[in-house]
Amino acid sequence: MRRRDFIAAAATLGAGGLAVAGFEDSQRYDATIDYPGRAIGHRLRDARELPPPSETWRTEVLIAGSGIAGLTARRQLARRGRTDVLLLAGPERHGNAAGGGDGELRYPTGAHYLPLPSRESTHVRELLADFGIITRDPYGERPTYDERFVVHAPAERVWYRRAWQDGYLPTEGVGAAERAQAERFFAEVASFAQARGSDGRRAFAVPVEHSSTDARFTVLDAQSFAAWLDGRGYDAPGLRWYLDYCCRDDYGRCATEISAWAGLHYFCARDGDAANAERGAVLTWPEGLSYLATHLEAAGAGAIVPASVARLRVGADGVEALAVMTDADGGNPRTARILARYGIAAMPLYVLAHVLVDPEKHGFTAGRDLPEYAPWLVANFILDAFPGERPGVPLAWDNVRYGSPSLGYVVSTHQDIRLDRPARTAFTAYHALAERGARAGREWLMRASARELTELAATDLGPAYGWRLPLCTRRVAVTVRGHAMAVPRPGFLSNAGVRALRTGNGPLWFAHTDLSGVSLFEEAAWWGYRAANAITGHPPT
Amino acid sequence: MISVFFVASCGLAYELVAGALSSYLIGDSVLQFSTVIGCYLFAMGVGAHLSRYVTDEDVLARFVDVELAIGLLGGASAALLFLGFAWSAGPFRALLYALVFLIGALVGMEIPLVMRALNAREARFADLVSRVLTFDYLGSLAIALLFPLVLVPHLGLVRTGFLFGLVNVGVAAWTIHAFGGAVANARGRVLRAGAVFLALGAGFAASDRLVYFSERGMFGDDIAYAITTPYQRLVLTRWKDDLRLYINGNLQFSSRDEYRYHEALVHPALQSLPWARSVLVLGGGDGLALREILRYPNVRQVTLVDLDPRVTELFSTAPDLTALNHASFHDPRVHLVNADAARWIESTTDTFDAVFVDFPDPSSFALGKLYSVPFYAALRQRVSAHGTVVVQATSPYFAPHAYWCIEATLREAGFHTAPYHTYVPSFGEWGFILATEDGAWSPPAAYRLPMRYLSAEVTREMFAFPPDMTPPKVEANHLNTQALVRYFDEDWHRVIR
Ligand SMILES: Cc1cc2nc3c(=O)[nH]c(=O)nc-3n(C[C@H](O)[C@H](O)[C@H](O)COP(=O)(O)OP(=O)(O)OC[C@H]3O[C@@H](n4cnc5c(N)ncnc54)[C@H](O)[C@@H]3O)c2cc1C
Repeated sequence: MRRRDFIAAAATLGAGGLAVAGFEDSQRYDATIDYPGRAIGHRLRDARELPPPSETWRTEVLIAGSGIAGLTARRQLARRGRTDVLLLAGPERHGNAAGGGDGELRYPTGAHYLPLPSRESTHVRELLADFGIITRDPYGERPTYDERFVVHAPAERVWYRRAWQDGYLPTEGVGAAERAQAERFFAEVASFAQARGSDGRRAFAVPVEHSSTDARFTVLDAQSFAAWLDGRGYDAPGLRWYLDYCCRDDYGRCATEISAWAGLHYFCARDGDAANAERGAVLTWPEGLSYLATHLEAAGAGAIVPASVARLRVGADGVEALAVMTDADGGNPRTARILARYGIAAMPLYVLAHVLVDPEKHGFTAGRDLPEYAPWLVANFILDAFPGERPGVPLAWDNVRYGSPSLGYVVSTHQDIRLDRPARTAFTAYHALAERGARAGREWLMRASARELTELAATDLGPAYGWRLPLCTRRVAVTVRGHAMAVPRPGFLSNAGVRALRTGNGPLWFAHTDLSGVSLFEEAAWWGYRAANAITGHPPT
Repeated sequence: MISVFFVASCGLAYELVAGALSSYLIGDSVLQFSTVIGCYLFAMGVGAHLSRYVTDEDVLARFVDVELAIGLLGGASAALLFLGFAWSAGPFRALLYALVFLIGALVGMEIPLVMRALNAREARFADLVSRVLTFDYLGSLAIALLFPLVLVPHLGLVRTGFLFGLVNVGVAAWTIHAFGGAVANARGRVLRAGAVFLALGAGFAASDRLVYFSERGMFGDDIAYAITTPYQRLVLTRWKDDLRLYINGNLQFSSRDEYRYHEALVHPALQSLPWARSVLVLGGGDGLALREILRYPNVRQVTLVDLDPRVTELFSTAPDLTALNHASFHDPRVHLVNADAARWIESTTDTFDAVFVDFPDPSSFALGKLYSVPFYAALRQRVSAHGTVVVQATSPYFAPHAYWCIEATLREAGFHTAPYHTYVPSFGEWGFILATEDGAWSPPAAYRLPMRYLSAEVTREMFAFPPDMTPPKVEANHLNTQALVRYFDEDWHRVIR
């Protein structure tokens, strides 16, 4: 039931004590809205007049960007003994892996989980072992993980026909033919997961760069995932809703807009096993992947400065950059000149396109090569009490609503090991605005009032808890990500400009999940790892 | 408008009372709450519809009648449900939904009647709607907060019910007073209000006795103590010399045979640790394990961590209970911590020579985590080099998969285990698992202290499992799958069936 319907129902019912939710004129939630990167982003895009640099900084390696890619590069440099490193954090520390807090509560404002890493993701396994998250056999078939961080049962549930059931794909109350079709899909996916191309590589691998280039598989990139599903006769509405949900959850857009190669990659590539968890399990923390970002940060060396790069270019003996510092509101800009032996640009491509001087020299033409970016809304509902639950499977870590255009909500205290449940918790609701065009969605997000944003964020929470939700909610911390992730549209695999950036240009290297075309922790970490290795003279493995 | 505030408060309160009480009495709180609320909402719709048949002249008089009826029915609902349940569980659901429906229908009439009454007398309609809804909203908010935080803990459900009934009567009386002449037959209605007021007042005063009689009906014995804490409901019953503790309706111990349980829990471990100085008890707020531990003069300090201060307070002050636990909480060696044991274990840096873990059974995903590899791994950090841990581990006879799953989990966490079991008449066959770091442990051949139950021979038998208790093949309780919760559920379902 939408809020408006609820009000109507409440009014006609004369719903005495229950008309709580129907008080039209009140602000239902006390909300704070954060637009990471908006202020500085506009400044860079509009190329407003910047003051001349007042000082010059020198460093061996300059890293621009404090997301997973930049932080992984910095850690890897430290491991190779390079400590003369300067990292410019950019507009948002930890980027899409940022988190927040309220009192003792921690919650994600971006990425929230990491699947058990695949065999090929040695760069991820290595750091998980270093952080004590893998406790035994990090490179084996089945490493042992610290169970505090492996998602605890019940991991997920779906709201279907007025009750919660296990899993994402409803099975109870679903016809045998539909269930059989789902089984056929998963069997086909399982065979793709095993498949190898003529080059001996896996059809779908993480990192994406390790995937086979055999045309048998890359041809899938020519069509949309939806078209591929149609062609294979997968038309059961439940299955299609689920697959669409997966595309929106990982790529921010619907199956009709996603490359079939990317759609299958989601199911085939992240197939890590564990000695003490099931296949398909994920690692998660109350604060989401900001836990890993914080550990990566601690494992690096050199200063981290709250500044952004306004201009970047390859100079006579290395890399030259102009750094901007502003006040929190984006005002009062100051600049500094940076001279570095090497540079790692660990920022998204849509920013790089504005700050890199002569990107065409690096093989990148923004008009031709820049991917579309999907906007995301992340909203943390800080609750003073757990709202009462409706029938079925109890509250899980991830809670989704069948048929919803939104992406459900995650419970930040789910991993607590406690005799009594905590007094307070945070529910993190995700919404990728896939129901609107990427641009239209972004514009709407930037315009929307606090009330419109919180209402959109409650798309799934509202029906799940009704009038209990506003009663339990203390405040809502909304994070608006206008350019949250590059969308892997059909053809993304052969994007020449993005491919060109994968190979560094002498002193300047690029590192960002955008180089893979799909937005994943492992991909971001891969490019950071690879850039640091290249600079320190270790060829990629 | 003030009356709208109270009306809304009461409306929500009855719904909460019915939901909470039915959950307490027949369990399964999610389902209970949602079906009660569904029924209530539907009835409110019916009530709102019915209110249309009230003619305009009658509005105020009917409102007074509705208030009195709600007061009487709603106020007494908790008491009626309690008595009804004690009397027989069968028609209980019928009674529950009938009451919920009636109250819901009456509550559904309230707001439409108020609006019409006020509309006829003052204010623009738009203004009115928003003001009515404001007070409605505020009233509901007040109750949603007061109900779990203040009312239920301090007054109990039954008395809370009566209190709200009285509020409804107050609203009726106030309406008569405020609108005087406009209410038809005001005099007769004042009398009726008086009668309802007296009835509810009597109920309020007698609620403890009502609950006492109904719980006595449920448990079959006299109720010695009954308290509701934010965490649980405790009932102590007495029949002759048998004192029994029930938490949320589940038997925790009977004073007739609890010594069997507690001797078996404590002495095999402590007899073998004559050097033990510091002991930790997790759970065990009844002080009975403590009583056994304190018999060892070598034990210098016992830390007991129990969540619920009301429980440990009861067991350190009530005379029959301190007689039973030998006033163990007053021993200067005891260090009592009221905290969540799982949180506490993460933060403490102390180590202990012996640890006794006496948690509730793993009947939910939340409790299952306290029997998991990481919990035991954290516990292991707190055990001294040659120390010993003993875990209460449900019944190896009734719940064999659950029992052996706990055993496998302890091993997975790096312990060596010595599983054992004993017969406690009021529980049946019960199981424990003793765990050590080095595995160099064997059951004691004799006890230094005099025992009521244990002997060398009984101990030998405890550590042997007869063929009908052969360990089934189970997996350890990993948090990702929480196999234990499933085992526990399936095992006990098999028993009850
Ligand atoms: C809502 C959401 C949920 C997600 N959930 C998951 C998940 O559960 N699991 C998963 O694996 N992945 C998830 N992802 C994807 C994952 O977050 C990203 O792939 C990963 O964090 C990207 O890291 P990055 O370093 O490549 O880029 P970013 O996180 O984009 O970091 C870019 C960095 O560059 C900085 N920067 C920008 N402009 C400049 C400038 N001009 N100068 C200097 N620095 C600059 C920024 O401040 C930032 O620190 C999610 C993404 C989103 C948006």
